[in-house]
Amino acid sequence: MKIRTRLTLWYAGILIASLLVIGVGTYREIAEQLRHDHRQNSREHAVNEAGEMIFQVGLPAILLGLLGGWWLTRRALNPVTKLTETVEKIHEHNLREPLPRSGNGDELDRLTEVFNSMTARLDGSFQRIREFTLHASHELKTPLTVLRGEMEMALEEENSSAPQKERLLSQIDEIERLAKIVDGLTLLMKADAGQIQLRREPVRLDELVRESFADAKILAQPLQIHISLPVCEELTVFGDRHRLRQLLLNLTDNAVKYNKPDGTAAISLRRVENFAELKIENTGAGVAPELQPRVFERFFRGDPSHSNAVEGCGLGLSIAQWIVAAHDGSIRFTSRPNESTTVTVRLPTGSPVV
Amino acid sequence: MRVLVVEDEKKTASFVRKALQAEGFAVDVCHNGDDALAAARTNAFDAIVLDIMLPGRDGLSVLRQLRAQNNAAPVLLLSARGEVNERVEGLNSGADDYLPKPFVIAELVARVRALGRRGGESKSTVLQVDGLTLDTVSHRAQRGGKYFELTAREFRLLEFLMRSPGRICGRMTIIEKVWDYDFDPGTNLVDVYVKRLREKIDDGFEPKLLHTVRGIGYVLKETQ
Repeated sequence: MKIRTRLTLWYAGILIASLLVIGVGTYREIAEQLRHDHRQNSREHAVNEAGEMIFQVGLPAILLGLLGGWWLTRRALNPVTKLTETVEKIHEHNLREPLPRSGNGDELDRLTEVFNSMTARLDGSFQRIREFTLHASHELKTPLTVLRGEMEMALEEENSSAPQKERLLSQIDEIERLAKIVDGLTLLMKADAGQIQLRREPVRLDELVRESFADAKILAQPLQIHISLPVCEELTVFGDRHRLRQLLLNLTDNAVKYNKPDGTAAISLRRVENFAELKIENTGAGVAPELQPRVFERFFRGDPSHSNAVEGCGLGLSIAQWIVAAHDGSIRFTSRPNESTTVTVRLPTGSPVV
Repeated sequence: MRVLVVEDEKKTASFVRKALQAEGFAVDVCHNGDDALAAARTNAFDAIVLDIMLPGRDGLSVLRQLRAQNNAAPVLLLSARGEVNERVEGLNSGADDYLPKPFVIAELVARVRALGRRGGESKSTVLQVDGLTLDTVSHRAQRGGKYFELTAREFRLLEFLMRSPGRICGRMTIIEKVWDYDFDPGTNLVDVYVKRLREKIDDGFEPKLLHTVRGIGYVLKETQ
């Protein structure tokens, strides 16, 4: 119930109670005075008169009181409503504009002041995040570039021995891995800070699925994993082609990487209501039920023993989740350990909602 | 050949200079955009290696200024990986090539060399390296009288490698140019495809053409 309604009801209650007290009092006073009057007719007449008078005056008074109360609370709460409307319009990009203050030093003016200082602090944080993400990629990659370059130069030196070269090469491999992690993290940081603009256009999802199916087949061959594409309906979504390809590659690559020898993986794309439903199911160790809610966390690994056996940066599903969310879709992960794991992605089809 | 390296990070600039000098190039180094513009006005460079992220005037602004001054020296941009917008803007502003950071120094040297003799890239429809030929119209590859079936992707990979014979191609470069991915896929896709390609074009033939450069990428050339 709104504060305004509540206050008006309370006000009406108090008003009725006081009118009742006054009415009952007046009635009893008149009745007392008339007890000594012996003229029967006039006595009854006077009592009726009094009752009628109380009714005729009292009812309009109650109504007036109700309306007055409603108007009064509305007037009193008006600045709060206005403040709410202004606060509602606040978003990440207009934090720097302060809310207008009445300047009369009342409670609401003070509240506005507190709001303003809060949004100013928020603006500062957002600003720092934006600057950080803008430079993070550069700042993190520069030392990696230097390290990598110097190692390559050392490799070229003729007096280094074979074991030394081997060590350098393995270090270069690690630097590559680190560079991949930096790439993934920068992407997610930018996504968090809302700095990534999707370039959306109508995209034939079935074509992208066929393309990544072809890549997945090649990836699966050396591991003796059988990949199939039982259903691939013609579907168009309004999305960013690059990001959707990244999503598909991430998911199909996982289906191959976290599989078992002689395992299978099935990709399917079908229309379900107004969605394009992409389902990727694969055999393999899977993820224990209690750990499943955590699979989209950054650097999460379902099975600790995977950490070394399977190459990857541990950000694949986090990135997939971001891509799906950016396309207003949903992603679900279910797994029965040692049986199968299914990732279901739903993306809205049809014209974009602008 | 004279090369200008514009890179604010001193250590990076230093090893790039060393690597290019080892190739016999004359190298000038600038640490900011204004110095670079001044250097480009007084000297004619055969190639310019330009970092996008520079203090003050950034690389893209330097590039536009160069082109506005009718300086046609080929420019190789260095950008952070995944910065597609910057890169597209760079190529639109007149850059000739780009290399994502962290780059492979051997690849940078190869690209600079290629820029220096620009126009050398073969535009012919039939590519040939040693006894291997690839018809880019019919998508057919042939070596020693034997024809190979290539998938669309294998064809694009082989075409890319054959258009720059002897030049080291980094994994990220292959991913970007052959797959058109602007992100690191985090898979061994390239290695698996190269292995398949190698089985087709090198198995049963001598000399081997497709070589792995450990930690860097691949190169298609006649001898190791």
